Amino acid sequence: MDELELLKQKWQAREQDLPTLSYNDIYKLILKKSSSIVKWIFIIGVLELCFWIGLVLLTPESQMKVMNDMGLKTASVITNIIHFAIIAVFIWYFYRNYRSIQVTDNTKMLMKNILKTRKTVRYFVFYNLATYAVSSIVIVTYFYMNSGRLYSVMDFASRGISPENFDNRFLIGYIIVSVLFIGILMLFYWLIYGILLGRLKRNYKELKRMEV
Amino acid sequence: MNKELEHRFVTQLEENQNIVHKICRLYTNNSDAHNDLFQEITIQLWRAFPKFRGDSKFSTWMYRVALNTAITLYRKSKRSVKTQDFEGVSFKISSEAYDDTVEEQLKLMYSAVKNLNDIDKALVFLYLEDKNYKEISQTLGISEVNARVKMNRIKEKLRKVLNP
Repeated sequence: MDELELLKQKWQAREQDLPTLSYNDIYKLILKKSSSIVKWIFIIGVLELCFWIGLVLLTPESQMKVMNDMGLKTASVITNIIHFAIIAVFIWYFYRNYRSIQVTDNTKMLMKNILKTRKTVRYFVFYNLATYAVSSIVIVTYFYMNSGRLYSVMDFASRGISPENFDNRFLIGYIIVSVLFIGILMLFYWLIYGILLGRLKRNYKELKRMEV
Repeated sequence: MNKELEHRFVTQLEENQNIVHKICRLYTNNSDAHNDLFQEITIQLWRAFPKFRGDSKFSTWMYRVALNTAITLYRKSKRSVKTQDFEGVSFKISSEAYDDTVEEQLKLMYSAVKNLNDIDKALVFLYLEDKNYKEISQTLGISEVNARVKMNRIKEKLRKVLNP
């Protein structure tokens, strides 16, 4: 007889040395809060959605004024409307995928649904980073081509910055800030989801490998 | 109504708690982590309970939710440092029937099972609980054939660990 068979036979006999919780102990447990990764994915996902929406809504008045004075008012209103429509679609998907996570599904299905929910958020983040990058490039190019107008709109003369200096400083400054912003965000996501989902991804791969 | 549901749930879990404890013991290495996981499984069971229709046995339904929690939802806390606690695993077998070698073998076997990856461990656990391949495959979401093939490979692996 093989060893596993032997272990199986003795498996039940071992039950007496397991801990035993009373009715009241168990009752207390059902009042506690879950700390499962699904909950964390939900919380972080909602925070991410809020962050990107907040970024648009909280654009300072002064920056809006610069945009308007540069003749970009209509363009920025239209882009914002499209942007929010896309965000709404993302939120709907996120909610739908989150709802599909059922602990009573089989293990593979459960993992698949969790990863799907996470993927929605990831696409949302990619979308935002891409939008941020593209609009930065467009705005910088536009401003650069109309730097004379920008110079007067932002009133750099009164701050003692000469028009020649201004062009390069503006461009370099803008690029550095954008790259830093994107870099920090990517590091942040990589860390959070790496920690949260590492084990789940490994196990999911293991299950999928069995099917080959 | 809610009180009645709570009462039904707690009573059934109290009766079947061994299943959860066995899973906790396989998937954690100390009593703090054991209790953490037990708590999380209880919460997940309780949340899913209103949808439990009773078309399967409560215990059968429990296996799925409890294993899913252990493998997928549970976040190992920092406290659960990787230490093998061997004292937790004692096979008290009546001395006249088995000699020390058998007990030693069983201990080794158990620790070998504990060292398997999360998925393999789930397979072995269900096997030890005398579940058939159909149930195993339905719980994990793989085909019956694949469950069988995988189980044979694990057995082979475990044999090698014990008889190098």
